Amino acid sequence: MELCLETGYTSLNHIGEELCGDHVECSTNGDYTTLVLADGLGSGVKASILSTLTSKILCTMVSNDIDITECVSTIIRTLPVCKERGVAYSTFSVIHVNKQGHGYLFEFDNPEAIYYHNGQAVDFEREELNVCGNQVFKSELNLVDGDIVMVMSDGTIHAGIGMILNFGWPREKIKEYLDHHLNHKMSARAAACVLASACNEIYEGQPSDDTTVAAVRIRQRLDVNVMVGPPVNKEQDQEHVARYMEGPGLKVVCGGTSSNILARYLHKHLRPSLDYPDHEIPPIAYIDGIDLVTEGVITLRRLLELSDKYVSISDLTPKYYDKEDGASLLADILFERSTHVHFFVGQSVNTAHTGLEIDTTMKLKLVERLAANLRLMGKEVTLLYD
Amino acid sequence: MVIKVCVGSSCHLKGSYEVVEAFKSLVKKYNVQDRIELQASFCLGNCLQGVSAAVEDFGDAEVQESEQVKRTEAGLLLSHLKSDNTEKVFVDTILPLLK
Repeated sequence: MELCLETGYTSLNHIGEELCGDHVECSTNGDYTTLVLADGLGSGVKASILSTLTSKILCTMVSNDIDITECVSTIIRTLPVCKERGVAYSTFSVIHVNKQGHGYLFEFDNPEAIYYHNGQAVDFEREELNVCGNQVFKSELNLVDGDIVMVMSDGTIHAGIGMILNFGWPREKIKEYLDHHLNHKMSARAAACVLASACNEIYEGQPSDDTTVAAVRIRQRLDVNVMVGPPVNKEQDQEHVARYMEGPGLKVVCGGTSSNILARYLHKHLRPSLDYPDHEIPPIAYIDGIDLVTEGVITLRRLLELSDKYVSISDLTPKYYDKEDGASLLADILFERSTHVHFFVGQSVNTAHTGLEIDTTMKLKLVERLAANLRLMGKEVTLLYD
Repeated sequence: MVIKVCVGSSCHLKGSYEVVEAFKSLVKKYNVQDRIELQASFCLGNCLQGVSAAVEDFGDAEVQESEQVKRTEAGLLLSHLKSDNTEKVFVDTILPLLK
């Protein structure tokens, strides 16, 4: 069974700051994914420069298998020194792990990472190293399907200081909170957002520190095949549908005409529902053997709005979808559950829609923008046009 | 009898939701829940005259055709439905078919 790594993060900016002093950098090199979360000294521009430099340098070096001692000494020798404080640093956490779940974690002065394993937030075993006079902790990673590694800046444990929590939010309490609020179905993005939103609540919406939570999750691969629109030539219908049905994974179809073609090809009935969980979104339908059948362009337009929110690193709306309308169901499958998305796009023009806000050009643009957002989420996306 | 209200993209924009709600309450109001089954349908191919609905399974009763009511192979095709004219079509055309 093929496993995949996914990453995601959420950042809250220090109140009144345009820039975040925390920075997350991610890269994938072969089987390995590297994620670095750096927290620059102070806030605003200076902090942002420090953390951006730190995370970029570390991420590039670590992903190219350079020894951590060398990476850390490079950072220390490179960073500009702060005039006011006479020091130059940015704290960091580095996760470097492969698709089999093996790798390591390095931590320097950030709050200790949290390991979500078997439905519980626990600690890693850490080994203390001394790198150029700095105390750095190393943990071996041996992750299994469903595990999440969460790293964070100290804005999390400082949440509420001098406000509703006198001494901030202790890490042990954060772990208890995660025990109750994470579940094994959540993506890395959703999990990071759960913790960051809770911090924002504790800060009463006015963070007095930059706060960032980043997560890496290991999970099973899930392909999703999405058919959108009928092919230009009717004679291609059969071939188009056959290719769509061929691949493994979930089957989703968006659009009335496409659903009709698909139902005919499969010799099944198309049964539209009369329920409107959201009266702005047309009802879904059912075809035996197909995982989700929705209307086309109106549903896709809503889906694109949802995806814009999903990829925004500062958006705090929950990243899971419990509503039952077509767009929310699609969002759940594509954003939260999939790892690989294959679009089968038919470019036939629906004459009835010409001139309306739902014409074919509109639909094709929606699909392109949606594909771009899915790639930002870390999905592998293929587009096949007929 | 089956009434299938089109919920395709084009009809949706023209107000399928309101028409569906109108039919739901009319079926109750005239107490014909056990005679009429409401369903949704994807595009009925009558987009320019939406909101559309198809009426099927009502025997061979005679129907007065009009701009809004057309005879088809499967039954009737209703056009230009809106929340405020659905009751008139329901009373003038659909209820008599149940007699």
